[in-house]
Amino acid sequence: MEKREIELNVNGNTYSIAVPPQRTLLEVLREDLGLTGTKEGCSEGECGVCTVLLDGLPVRSCILFAVDVRGRKVTTIEGLAEREKLHPIQKAFIEQGAIQCGFCTPGMILSTKSLLDSNPSPSEEEIRVAISGNLCRCTGYQKIIKAIRTASRT
Amino acid sequence: MRYFEYLEPKDLNEVCQFLSQNEQAKVLAGGASLVVLQRNNLIQPSHLVNLKTIPGLDQIEWDDRQGLRIGPLNRHRDILYSPVIQKHCPVLAEAASKIATPPIRSMGTIGGNVCHGEPAADFPPALIALGAKLKLVSADGERIVPIEAFFVDYYETVLAPNEVLTEIAIPPLPPRSSGIYLKLDKITNSVAIAGAAAVVSLDEAGTCTYAGVGLGGVASTPLKIEKTKEILMGKKVKETDLEQVAKEAQTICNPMTNIYASADYRREMAYVLTKRALQEALKKAYTL
Repeated sequence: MEKREIELNVNGNTYSIAVPPQRTLLEVLREDLGLTGTKEGCSEGECGVCTVLLDGLPVRSCILFAVDVRGRKVTTIEGLAEREKLHPIQKAFIEQGAIQCGFCTPGMILSTKSLLDSNPSPSEEEIRVAISGNLCRCTGYQKIIKAIRTASRT
Repeated sequence: MRYFEYLEPKDLNEVCQFLSQNEQAKVLAGGASLVVLQRNNLIQPSHLVNLKTIPGLDQIEWDDRQGLRIGPLNRHRDILYSPVIQKHCPVLAEAASKIATPPIRSMGTIGGNVCHGEPAADFPPALIALGAKLKLVSADGERIVPIEAFFVDYYETVLAPNEVLTEIAIPPLPPRSSGIYLKLDKITNSVAIAGAAAVVSLDEAGTCTYAGVGLGGVASTPLKIEKTKEILMGKKVKETDLEQVAKEAQTICNPMTNIYASADYRREMAYVLTKRALQEALKKAYTL
């Protein structure tokens, strides 16, 4: 099995790793880089728990090959807080009670970040569209939407 | 997932040569459909040839004579947010907005959406209504295929294993044109139960100068309602004309029953969506 030497830019850090072509970005993040904030759910790009940002846009890391994202900027949930200082979106999710089991949360927050970075005052409809790719089995979404609205005001 | 070799070619020639010599190789665009098939072991390509490293396949160009030329590597979100598309072909942006979710729209491409051959895909009905033509290139040369002739069966197109879709060309429409894509789905932006796209043009007197309707999800391929032009063009369109096109939709469709809907329901929806899409497209065109 032939491995490729690639350089990945994740959360501003450069990592050099050797991977076979079919290794997904999700596997690299969780297993090679120890960044387990990004989760594995359906492995088919439908559920959203594997969502990371690629050059600021949300993508499904479970159906992206690591070799395909060389030289592009990957942002995971670990890249949001600065040490102990949480990102305003993370704070809003906690304060509004938008987290129950927490499994969908990293993907939700990254989808939110992508939304607010390009659209700082989204409408309710725009918020709903932005998180339409992140399934949550616990909360019923209401508090998540409230958290995003709160975060958009900070 | 089975092991495969991975290539990053520098130009289209390299891709075409490689595909001619490696029958089991596949091209990789966004991967939104391809990688899911691989994950489920429905396909096991020997090589993946990444098209994204090749320049020149993501253009969106408008020319008053030739119309719109769209590169296959444009992602759904590129189509959705393109000012050129919004100005000249907004029905394509509408179709793009109804595909899946933001992450899939950041990865999936219009080329992939067309070549995947999903009968309920969202771009084909709009492209059919617009009269799109596809440029297919291989080491043996190139050919132009009208979109309605591209689809053969479920997930099967006329694209040969050594061919690459390099351009989607949409001829310019007359002035006072409008289009709409109606998608029927149980969950917003999931796979369409049925879909219809209508594009119409009217002259100053309100006579129809162009009409096209494409259907999705009601047969083993996307469908063109061939009789649309003969029923609508050159007339001041009446409701009975629309009903005639809608009945034709029911005649040509061949829907299946699955967990989302029955064949009977889809056949009924072919009528309803066709009529409604034409009504709304005409209503918009009258105001232009």
